[in-house]
Amino acid sequence: MSLGAPRGGPGGFLRLVGVVAWRDYLRTVRRRGFIFGTLLLPLGLAALFGLSALLAPAPSGGDPGVATASVVVVNESAVAIRPAEPLLHVIGSEEAATLIRDGSIAEYYVIPASWPASPEIQRVETTGGPLDLGAMQRREAQDEALAAVLRSALLSTTGVRPDVAVRIVAPVDVRVIAIDGGPTSEAAAVASFLVPFGFTLLFVMSIFITSGYLLQSVTEEKENRVVEILLSSVPSLPLMAGKILGLGAAGLTQVAIWVAAVLLAIPLISSQIGGLGDLAPDPTVLALALAYFVLGYLAYGAIFAAIGAVAPGNREAQQYSGFFGFLAVIPLIFSSAFLSGDVSTPLVWTLALIPITTPATMLLVLAVAPTIPVPLVVASLVSLALFTVLATIASARVFRATLLLYGVRPSLRRIVDAVLARS
Amino acid sequence: MPEAPSPTSERVPRTLEGGEPAVVVRGVWKRFGRTDVVQGLSFEVRRGELMGFLGPNGAGKTTTMRMVLDIIRPDRGEIRVFGGPPGVEHQSRVGYLPEDRGLYRDVPVVDTLTYFGALRGMSTSQSRRRATDLLERMGLGDSMRKRGAELSRGMHQKAQLIATILNEPDLLIVDEPFQGLDPVNADLLKGVLLEQRDRGAAVIMSTHDMGDAQTLCDRILLIDGGRRVLYGTVPDVRGAFSDGAVEVTGRDIPLEPDRYRSVSHISAVDGRVRFLLRDGASARDLFRELAGTDAVVERFSLDAPDLSEVFLRAVAGDPRAERVA
Repeated sequence: MSLGAPRGGPGGFLRLVGVVAWRDYLRTVRRRGFIFGTLLLPLGLAALFGLSALLAPAPSGGDPGVATASVVVVNESAVAIRPAEPLLHVIGSEEAATLIRDGSIAEYYVIPASWPASPEIQRVETTGGPLDLGAMQRREAQDEALAAVLRSALLSTTGVRPDVAVRIVAPVDVRVIAIDGGPTSEAAAVASFLVPFGFTLLFVMSIFITSGYLLQSVTEEKENRVVEILLSSVPSLPLMAGKILGLGAAGLTQVAIWVAAVLLAIPLISSQIGGLGDLAPDPTVLALALAYFVLGYLAYGAIFAAIGAVAPGNREAQQYSGFFGFLAVIPLIFSSAFLSGDVSTPLVWTLALIPITTPATMLLVLAVAPTIPVPLVVASLVSLALFTVLATIASARVFRATLLLYGVRPSLRRIVDAVLARS
Repeated sequence: MPEAPSPTSERVPRTLEGGEPAVVVRGVWKRFGRTDVVQGLSFEVRRGELMGFLGPNGAGKTTTMRMVLDIIRPDRGEIRVFGGPPGVEHQSRVGYLPEDRGLYRDVPVVDTLTYFGALRGMSTSQSRRRATDLLERMGLGDSMRKRGAELSRGMHQKAQLIATILNEPDLLIVDEPFQGLDPVNADLLKGVLLEQRDRGAAVIMSTHDMGDAQTLCDRILLIDGGRRVLYGTVPDVRGAFSDGAVEVTGRDIPLEPDRYRSVSHISAVDGRVRFLLRDGASARDLFRELAGTDAVVERFSLDAPDLSEVFLRAVAGDPRAERVA
């Protein structure tokens, strides 16, 4: 009596799917290529922040307050300039020369006797050394601050009241308040598009990377001639379903690690780009994004499994899959059409209802639409789900009919016959 | 060391007719494109029987085996495996060694075998234990952690056979199992196949080696162009192509044809005497007549062509094939 347990019924089918899925999952996540690819994004982000920290301007020696934030002035003009410690220091020319020589300050300004008849003033600074972007920014800020001080000083000589003089120098301070209380800075507005766009790109990339694992797995088993043993042990449908699930789980693992890395990185980014920290993801949007990801992966998985079965070798399989890869990223090419946030245009609807462009389109729609467009979401989900079911069945038939043709490209008629269950 | 019985050892003849059919194929047709690869093929394979599946390249053997395995479906006709249609219900009771051998190149062989066992319904631990035992028994104990790409051809083939018998299948289908093996390993694998048959498994073995077919098989099925050409036990098939000659070895054998009523012609070569029988006469008649002489008979056998010759004659269209088709 055979040692193999008898099969039959849904339990047997699910057990086979589980065996194939678990084995393909483990085999994939243990691959060096997978580990490298998965860690590349977190390591890249870490390297980016490390580099940025290294390149940040280091504080100079001496009195950092004077050297970086304050303006040191030697006033030789007739206009009185009142010191405003610690931001404005008015000192003598000899003291200024001493301070700059011993490195206590990096520059000072001289207001000559000819001012204000002549607008020219001098900034005395150290020379040599490497290009210092921080110093350039600091000097620019000091120039502006000194201009404001001199404007106030001039106004005070004309009898204008001090409070009016202040308002002349700085007439307005615009504060923007959003009606919904959301982030309002320009950086946040840019971030509100870039972050979801980045996530869309990540999702589409992941669908393709994961589908690529599937393609690799099928063509490898075909080239290794293992597939005939597999098909003698397992029917084609649970074999394909197990592969799609196992490798999909591997893809989800990769995406989960990437998303976690990005979420960890956001607080660090938000210290440089204001408003990012306020971008709390909407749970409904996240759930829908996951649904599009899963359905998109299953649809592409079915297509790629059939490609792997039909293609005579791995190289041809990559070429065929590249065509579908191009179709999938078409929505990203038209991303400018989404920027307005108007997702009711015919272009958006068309892209959303063509199953192979649905995932990327709808991820973009979810990113930019001010509210979830329910009719579009329902229509696209139904269309994508229907396509996924049909593609899986057709693919299993093609998979079964063509997988054993080693090194031979099956005719179109044979593929069509297989899809229509005529072979 | 292997414990499998030697294929040349004496074995007890079994009553094939008593075995329950493990596989029944009735009137099966399969067409690829415009070619009928299998045309109305019918045969049975019984439990405890090793059936040789013979035929020229492209005769339809692999297609037939794949249909029995439910890898591909017939266009017409019926296939029953263990009394039911082939498919998922029975796949856990089947072992298959395809002609195109396959192992994962980058996976240790014991892991590959464990996976194959799990696919056939064994638990992972049971599958691993059995794979380890069989690898040890087949002399691959030291190589079980080697990856598929690191195995020699012989090791690869042995690992493949282990994959085939891992689940102690009730039906084994093996395609050219000894191809490319040295005599020692071929003998080892033959022993394993006979052991499987002797424990009651039905074995279908496709081979181009007529010597193996004649030595190992209980019955043979020869197909050509997708049609059945020969089907029967090895003695029956060979006997059908006999010229009606009997070969006798011994001493004091009279060599004059007129001493025998059943014989038309006698020739002697190297101590062996070949009697050509008259029409209507049988070997039994000759035996009786020899018994009435002073001859000491050491060996008396029907002078039938070996399977290689039978194969060539049958494929060339010899009408005697009709007797055992």
